[in-house]
Amino acid sequence: MQQIESIILYCSNQINRERTIYSIYHLLNGKKSSQTIQDAHLFSLKKFFGIYDQLSREDFEEIIQGMLNKSWMKIIGNHRYCLTSHGMTLLEAGQLPEYINGWNYNHVTNLFWERLSLLIQVVSNIMFGETKYIPIQKNQEVHKWIKFFLKNVNIPKIEIGSTAYSELLECFKAGSSVDPSLVVFRLTGFHQIGLTPHQAARQLNLNIHDYQIGFTNTLHYLLSYIKEDGKQYKILPYLIYDLMQNDELTLTTRKTQRLLNQGYTLDMIANIRKLKLSTIEDHLVELALNMEGFSIDSYVDKELQKEILEISQRIATKQLKLIREKIMNATYFQIRLVLAKYGDR
Amino acid sequence: MELEKLLKEHFGYQRFKTGQKEVITSILSGQHTLAMLPTGTGKSLCYQLPGLLLNGQILIVSPLLSLMQDQVEQFKRFGEKRVIALNSFLSGQERQDAFNHLNEYKFIFTSPEMLKIPSILRKLQELTIALFVVDEAHCISQWGFDFRPDYSKLGEIRKKFGNPLTLALTATATTKVREDIIGSLDLEEVVKIESTIDRPNIGFYVKELDDFRDKQATILDLVANLKMPGIIYFSSKKVAEHMALVLTEKGICQAMAYHGGLDQNTRILIQQQFIYGQLDVICATSAFGMGINKENVRFIIHYHMPMQIESYLQEIGRAGRDGEPSIAILLYTRGDEQLPLQLAESELPSELQIDWLFKSNEEKILKDGKVTLNRELMNLGGFSEIQWRIVEDFVNNSSVETINYEQIQITIKEFVKERLATKKNNIFRMKTWIESNTCRREQILRYFDETLHEVVNPCCDICGIQLNDYQRIHSSNIPSEKVTEQTWKDYLAKILINSELRE
Repeated sequence: MQQIESIILYCSNQINRERTIYSIYHLLNGKKSSQTIQDAHLFSLKKFFGIYDQLSREDFEEIIQGMLNKSWMKIIGNHRYCLTSHGMTLLEAGQLPEYINGWNYNHVTNLFWERLSLLIQVVSNIMFGETKYIPIQKNQEVHKWIKFFLKNVNIPKIEIGSTAYSELLECFKAGSSVDPSLVVFRLTGFHQIGLTPHQAARQLNLNIHDYQIGFTNTLHYLLSYIKEDGKQYKILPYLIYDLMQNDELTLTTRKTQRLLNQGYTLDMIANIRKLKLSTIEDHLVELALNMEGFSIDSYVDKELQKEILEISQRIATKQLKLIREKIMNATYFQIRLVLAKYGDR
Repeated sequence: MELEKLLKEHFGYQRFKTGQKEVITSILSGQHTLAMLPTGTGKSLCYQLPGLLLNGQILIVSPLLSLMQDQVEQFKRFGEKRVIALNSFLSGQERQDAFNHLNEYKFIFTSPEMLKIPSILRKLQELTIALFVVDEAHCISQWGFDFRPDYSKLGEIRKKFGNPLTLALTATATTKVREDIIGSLDLEEVVKIESTIDRPNIGFYVKELDDFRDKQATILDLVANLKMPGIIYFSSKKVAEHMALVLTEKGICQAMAYHGGLDQNTRILIQQQFIYGQLDVICATSAFGMGINKENVRFIIHYHMPMQIESYLQEIGRAGRDGEPSIAILLYTRGDEQLPLQLAESELPSELQIDWLFKSNEEKILKDGKVTLNRELMNLGGFSEIQWRIVEDFVNNSSVETINYEQIQITIKEFVKERLATKKNNIFRMKTWIESNTCRREQILRYFDETLHEVVNPCCDICGIQLNDYQRIHSSNIPSEKVTEQTWKDYLAKILINSELRE
């Protein structure tokens, strides 16, 4: 079984017939919609949020079709699927990538990779005394970062290569379930150009989806290792310099939050920001999901909150429509707010 | 002499390549210059070196963003940091920074589109333009194979800079196109430096085959025997992908496809792998090759027929830059001209699309003092990017009061008709070249109004070339081995630890 299939089985089981299969696609893609962000929380799927943004819809559909053909899942309605007993057995036996942490790292994964690959290329060329080469990364931000690194790193030039080498080696040694090859063969050095994802997948005999997920898993491993245990290192901590801010809110939601704090009503905010009211409501749902102390009391009466929670638990659903049918005096917005605030805990 | 000293000091070369010194001397003596130098002779040196001696900025207009980026990088690689590309890749902040320090740059690359923006033009007008360089100048001419309407306005723009000293550069332009360049830029006295288009170390070979299966088999056979590295050009991404896969899977060589459908990172890696010899063969579309300096390419094969002799010449010009014998092979099956004909049509808006745009949707054309076409119409009318740009170019920026839609409609249709006729004619001439039975080199030279002075040997299949001469001798030049089963630790150590430094 492929890794991507285990992940999809796991996600399908978590969403428990309450969303279409495409909600999983959006999740893996890291779609920045309130719905997807909320789903990640409600169904405890945060670690898979945005772990595979290169996945195309066509490829996703092909994978799903394959799983249907193998009778791991079956159709139960419009784009809704559930696991068959065979699928359940596989799910229990299957392994999920150990270190993947989409929610915390998806927005920094690419930048981290760009830094790592440029770092190795630059260090390698320094070691071989080469100054004329084409940088493998074009992002100007990353170029600025490498200059900052070279100015501040506190190692004699002659040792910089061997230090980078031993730090990476040590770092990988601690993670028994990751395969460093997935990342290392992609690296470029002096007169040695790294492989493309497809080339690396072929060389390692992996299917491209499993390769991509394994690559991300390995990068997330590095990220968390450097963050937790990297302090004794001289080079690697630069890779996460300025990267690990608490970045859970989208930018637009943060703007709404600022106005909210200044005491504007939702209608006024919609007016000021020239956005639809429903968009502002989405932002509030996002705030309810992410901000520990965010109070929803001014939008949903305490009594109603209780009622919604009870219904949701009684009929064991997170589908808004079903809840709404039972409590007609609640709006969808109110139901979403309540589920967002209490759903995951 | 003085110039050779500069060349050595700043660029590390011992001597000039064909034509370079003449161009530089002409520029330094203050004369407008039109230079036609063959691909691979280092055209950028022709303005880079004068830049060291002239007071003021060198403004270089270049048609392709990717090319511009490459050139800027090349400059930086050779230690010239006072260089910038003003293009749409810059973020708002970067652009602002650039504007604030514009006069600190010596070399400013930009595109015709950028020069159309009044604020940018004004900023540039504040500078002293010591030299106005038009790269790929054949894009100016309607008769050129790569006509860009934006380019035809460079004459006006040049006036706005106060008619600065001008250098027009091209690798492939017929006499007619060269006249157009001079006329369009309104250069009165021009020194023309036209080195021969001929590359004597490249042999021509045209092979007629029965069908595409035959073509594929021939490719496999050729690549298995020819000296490497090489480039195979295709007009279709899919076929390029397929061929690269077959070549690799059959163990004939290390091959990868390269085309515009790949993401930027992958493109950079494949280019670099080819340059550093990790790949033997690139299966490419015309997207590959610009700005790539690889000296030892031994063969160029064309699987599909190019759209015109000019681009054919540009593509085969990537072989043999080291001067060693190299071969250009073109595979042809009957009816191959259909694909370029289709491509030519698809690059232009159809009559139907033009009528639709002007008839039913006139009210959808936004009016804002000046006319701007609503971009939604592009999708509704099924216009491709290229098609849309053509229409836009005719309509946009006309003033609301004076615009005459009927007239524009007629003008666009005439334009399309003319372009199509030119393109068809180009394809026809390419086909004539393929089918002819007189010396291929002589014919190409005649196309550019040159005559062959010396006999070249080996020359072409008509004059009797032996493909055996371009084949590898078996022990040497074997295809790169597949990356051996080295561990990731070995790989990391190899790139990070220079064992010669370890004592």
